[in-house]
Amino acid sequence: MIKSLDELKDLIRSKDNFNNFLNCSDVPEICKSEPCMLGVDEAGRGPVLGPMVYGVAYCPVNQTKVLQDLGCADSKALTEEKRDDIFRKMLTEEDSLNNVGWVAEVISPNYISNSMYRRAKHSLNEVSMNSAIALIKKAAESGANITEVYVDTVGPPEKYQAKLAAIFPNYKITVAKKADSIYPIVSAASIVAKVTRDHALKVWQFREGLEMTHSEFGSGYPGDPQTKKFIREQIDNVFGYPALVRFSWSTAELMLQEKAATCTFEDVDDEGNTKKKPKSISSFFAKPDEEKARKRHKYFEDRLLTGTNPFE
Amino acid sequence: MSIQVENNLKKDENTEIFEQKAHYMACNIAADGPANINKYFEPYVADDNGELSASFRGYPLTGKKMSLPEGYTAVVVTEAKRPLAEDADRKFQVTGGFKEFTNWNWDKKPSENDKIVGALDWIHIAEALHEDEAQ
Repeated sequence: MIKSLDELKDLIRSKDNFNNFLNCSDVPEICKSEPCMLGVDEAGRGPVLGPMVYGVAYCPVNQTKVLQDLGCADSKALTEEKRDDIFRKMLTEEDSLNNVGWVAEVISPNYISNSMYRRAKHSLNEVSMNSAIALIKKAAESGANITEVYVDTVGPPEKYQAKLAAIFPNYKITVAKKADSIYPIVSAASIVAKVTRDHALKVWQFREGLEMTHSEFGSGYPGDPQTKKFIREQIDNVFGYPALVRFSWSTAELMLQEKAATCTFEDVDDEGNTKKKPKSISSFFAKPDEEKARKRHKYFEDRLLTGTNPFE
Repeated sequence: MSIQVENNLKKDENTEIFEQKAHYMACNIAADGPANINKYFEPYVADDNGELSASFRGYPLTGKKMSLPEGYTAVVVTEAKRPLAEDADRKFQVTGGFKEFTNWNWDKKPSENDKIVGALDWIHIAEALHEDEAQ
């Protein structure tokens, strides 16, 4: 298990930033016997650059004081330094190590684009929910005695709550907007996620060979001037962007439409099946086009075979 | 008009040039010319026992290596300058070639049903159809 923020950086650097990975604490002994509450939150949902990180934190139900001592409060009200400081304490201080466990999943920008660009599209909400579910399972499988789960959500809580309740019938589940500022255990999860996301950006290495650092591409939020500049300038005519970019974000999509070679994939419906072009009503009334070239046999059509002269 | 294809590359001296990597992409790309494959694509190609995966413009791809049919080779030709007149003679230079390529599908496992597989089958069928009976 990592013991400092430098070790966190080394760990992230050692992982393949094209794919997802998990990072977790040891399970405190007390969490294996005492009933525990678990908080879930995410960081980096909106940015066009870098991974999204899901985090869970858990501790015995009667140990809220440890969380308060750590300073776990609405993480959006905390500065980056303060968040780093709290996470450092979670990695080093006895009181925290003995009571608070955590797991983080780093979801790569490539995984996000790939999910949203599948034949049958997966929304970011599905990606998020699946990660949250996997992390809760992971905490339980590692031996934590989870009894209560608190989840922060940006979408409507009711549907999400029902889904989690169906998967985890034995847990008391609470899904709420701004849970981060209400439940200290969610604040702790949020800090785990945010600090991991910040560091993942800091140590991002471009396998495309770009010599560029975090300070040059910015926070990744589409409104950040540095990020805007990156999205505008780092375009490859054929491949579009390096793998740091979430291609499925409209900011990136629109820029590529304007500045890179047009790429056309097969037209599919919501289930991912090939779409047949609908015939317009008027075509049924039109005079048959006698000039039209003789249609090739289906055998050739299916195999994209045509008589051709490439030198034409 | 006549079309000339010139080859100044000797096969045995330029094996690498004639055995380049080629990718049959799962989409139409409205571009013609060099592409930074080594920078943007190759580093991310993963091989799981012959089942390849990669990503193009954020789209998930699965791929499979395919060889050209026996006796066939692929060549890449370029034309230094296309003549303005339509009926003028054309001259092409052979600049390379490939013997195998990777067939990439968008989020679908490569299979015998892929169009490119069927297209290559036609070569065998055409051979059978046009073969002299005596042989």
